[in-house]
Amino acid sequence: MRKYLAVLRGTAMVGMVYRFGYFFAILGNLLYIGIVYFLWKSIYQGRDTLRGLTFNETMVYIALGSTVFFMLKTYSDWIIHYEIREGIIATYLIKPMDFQLYALFAVLGSTVMNIFAISIPTILFMIFFLKISIATGVGLVLFPLSFMFAMVISFCIDFFVGLMGFYSESVWGISSVKEIVLMFLSGALIPLQFFPEAVRNILFWLPFQAIFHTPLMMVTKPDSGLGTFIPMLAVQAFWTIALIVLTRLFYNQAIKVLRISGG
Amino acid sequence: MRTLGEYLRLYFIIEAQYIKARMQYRADFIISSFGMFFTSLVTLSVFWVIFDSVPDLAGWSLMEMVFIYAFYMLAISPMQILFDHFWQLRFHIQQGTFLKYYFRPLNMMFYYISEMFDLKGLIQLAAGTILLVYSATQLSVEWTITRILLLLLTLFSASLVQISMTVSAACAAFWVIDSYPVLGLAWKLREFSPYPMTIFDGAFRFAFTYIIPIGFVAFYPSQLFLRPSEVTPLIYFSPLIGVGLFALTYWIWTKGVNSYTGTGS
Amino acid sequence: MSLIQTKDLSKHFKILNRREGLTGAFKDLFSGDFRTVKAVDGISFDIDAGEIVGYIGPNGAGKSTTIKMMTGILKPTDGTLLINGHVPYTNRIQQAQIMGVVFGQRTQLWWDLPVIESFKILKEIYKVDQKTFDQHMGMFNELVGLKVLYSQQARTLSLGQRMLCDITASFLHNPQVVFLDEPTIGLDISVKAKIRSVIKELNRERNTTIILTTHDLGDVEALCQRIIIIDKGKILYDGDIKKVNALFGAYRTIKVQIDGFNENTLALLRNKLTERFGKEHGIVVAETEEFWTDVTIDQARTPLSDVLGFVMSNFSVSDVRIVEISMENVVQQVYDGALG
Repeated sequence: MRKYLAVLRGTAMVGMVYRFGYFFAILGNLLYIGIVYFLWKSIYQGRDTLRGLTFNETMVYIALGSTVFFMLKTYSDWIIHYEIREGIIATYLIKPMDFQLYALFAVLGSTVMNIFAISIPTILFMIFFLKISIATGVGLVLFPLSFMFAMVISFCIDFFVGLMGFYSESVWGISSVKEIVLMFLSGALIPLQFFPEAVRNILFWLPFQAIFHTPLMMVTKPDSGLGTFIPMLAVQAFWTIALIVLTRLFYNQAIKVLRISGG
Repeated sequence: MRTLGEYLRLYFIIEAQYIKARMQYRADFIISSFGMFFTSLVTLSVFWVIFDSVPDLAGWSLMEMVFIYAFYMLAISPMQILFDHFWQLRFHIQQGTFLKYYFRPLNMMFYYISEMFDLKGLIQLAAGTILLVYSATQLSVEWTITRILLLLLTLFSASLVQISMTVSAACAAFWVIDSYPVLGLAWKLREFSPYPMTIFDGAFRFAFTYIIPIGFVAFYPSQLFLRPSEVTPLIYFSPLIGVGLFALTYWIWTKGVNSYTGTGS
Repeated sequence: MSLIQTKDLSKHFKILNRREGLTGAFKDLFSGDFRTVKAVDGISFDIDAGEIVGYIGPNGAGKSTTIKMMTGILKPTDGTLLINGHVPYTNRIQQAQIMGVVFGQRTQLWWDLPVIESFKILKEIYKVDQKTFDQHMGMFNELVGLKVLYSQQARTLSLGQRMLCDITASFLHNPQVVFLDEPTIGLDISVKAKIRSVIKELNRERNTTIILTTHDLGDVEALCQRIIIIDKGKILYDGDIKKVNALFGAYRTIKVQIDGFNENTLALLRNKLTERFGKEHGIVVAETEEFWTDVTIDQARTPLSDVLGFVMSNFSVSDVRIVEISMENVVQQVYDGALG
């Protein structure tokens, strides 16, 4: 376990070195929130609620949504794809580490840094300057667990896309599709309440909303009660396990091919 | 010194070869093109979902939004197709491979961008054109010779604004190790160009018109064709704005190029 | 007028002093603590047309920095630098027309294109007329057998093939001076020999001035008439290779692993060597790698076998390696006044 924590520390330190990035990231985040504020203010023009959400609720949802999005944003798909194409993956296979776990902890390193350097300042800004209030409730307690599930699910999807590197030179196309589908169907772009009922019912069972919508609900409407949250957590848990299994299978298959034909 | 004509000819020769070589990667081309197409589709869907709940956005109808979005797609295409190599700039700089651009009797920016010609951007161009024609027809926009010329002119300026923003952001790589967030910021900003500037008040509208003029990428030019009476007089200066911004960007590039020392001793 | 003229040329850099560890990295965020590094510190030399000059020195000596100034990338901090009568930094595009550069292992060919297409593009860039182009390509083909590579993409070439292509490409436009940085690194002996003969032939045919930076002393021996040694930004030696040749040929380093090595061993070894071979033995004893003691000898003064035999009979030696003199040792010798 210690060696994986060392990997985590490694990427965290790299984050320290590339310090300028954080200033701009925070700036970008705040700018995005500002723009989103105006956009939705216009959408809400003259209306109190839309689809059951007030402007304030939607605002909090999107603002926190983009923050959570940033916490979860990894470039593992690009990085892993690159490492596979360039043959660097061979160096990991030699080491006494599981490649997938290694990749996960590497990502966790930068996630930890992102949380401290970007997300927390942004949230503090939102609370103190934009006077956005975060309600309390059981949701806040469940949030860390939900976030961890979301993290693993997101990582698995990225890892899966990255593994395509064994089969294709192109990562942009698949990655973009993944990214946009993720953002759209997970509720990061628009609160899911705005989607038609039928679509929403299907989405509930897909892993996408398990990444954003669920942890986000815990923070935006933490008082929704255990009755709402437990099923959502269950779906998350299911997808976490399912995706770990899926990526594992894909990985083993790909590695087998690599070992036989030399990559 | 080379003339513009000579540079154009050289560009054509290099790109012809580049495209020939890239066409061999058929799968990559298909996947990327699909990705590009799909991304545009989803973004349009966002509009659709919003307009499913409200009849208009700050007084703009769905079809008008589609027109603005189409204009936006056309305006960002030149950046995508011609200047895509700038997304790699930070890697070239860090790994020292950027040095090779100094060694040829060529303008360095020209040499740099000539190495990449993004084919999937052509898909974006095509899609944008179709969408523009479609929405214009739906909105019964009248096309006179003057208007068509105006369209081309504003598209030209808009693309320069877009190019300037992204390239300037990419040039941060000369001074900052991890310049990706700067590029990310520029990218985020441009994501909001297809929205009506009227949704912003005060400081933001000022900033997006005078400081980081994303308003000129799609909205203000679109007003010329959709709501001629509401047009801001500034729009007629857009070529100046576009060229001016690009000149500034080129200055930043030159500063960066002069300050680069390469890796190693 | 010499083709390349430098006088009191200097280049200084400001470097941030980085601190260690996580807290150190955090402190660095607010640091204003810089130091000045004198990469090149007042060098002067003139190079005439047609010369092949070896520009050598250990890593960090300032070689690349000098080359970058000559190719117009870096602006000198001080002093004069003229190539063909012009200042490289302010005339980059113009100067590029008369220069050829092969910089390290980074190819300048277009990666995805067939080799011949790269050459054709270069023809357009350098405005080489068709006749000259054909002539040169014909010559390259004779020298190097380039034709078989024409249709291959640069990315599929082996390192040796790529190097040959890059070198011939750098001569395509008949430049007045060509800068070759590590042209034979990582290549096997036969390819190295081929590259050396190509460079020699092109220099002979065209009277092209060649500046060669390399760690491979074989390159230097085979090609250079003149050597400039630089270390820590200053010129240690500038002159005929024959003098330095004497150094290369004669010197050998015997590397031994001595059992029970402790802090007294080096002194003991030195004393014993002086006892046996007299005060003027010119043998240098040092520990350059962990567990290995380097005994560098001048074969002109003391035969290798004698020294080796002596060391092995007086000390318990578990492993031996014999290597030719390294760049670092050459510089060390020059420092110590081996060239007078």
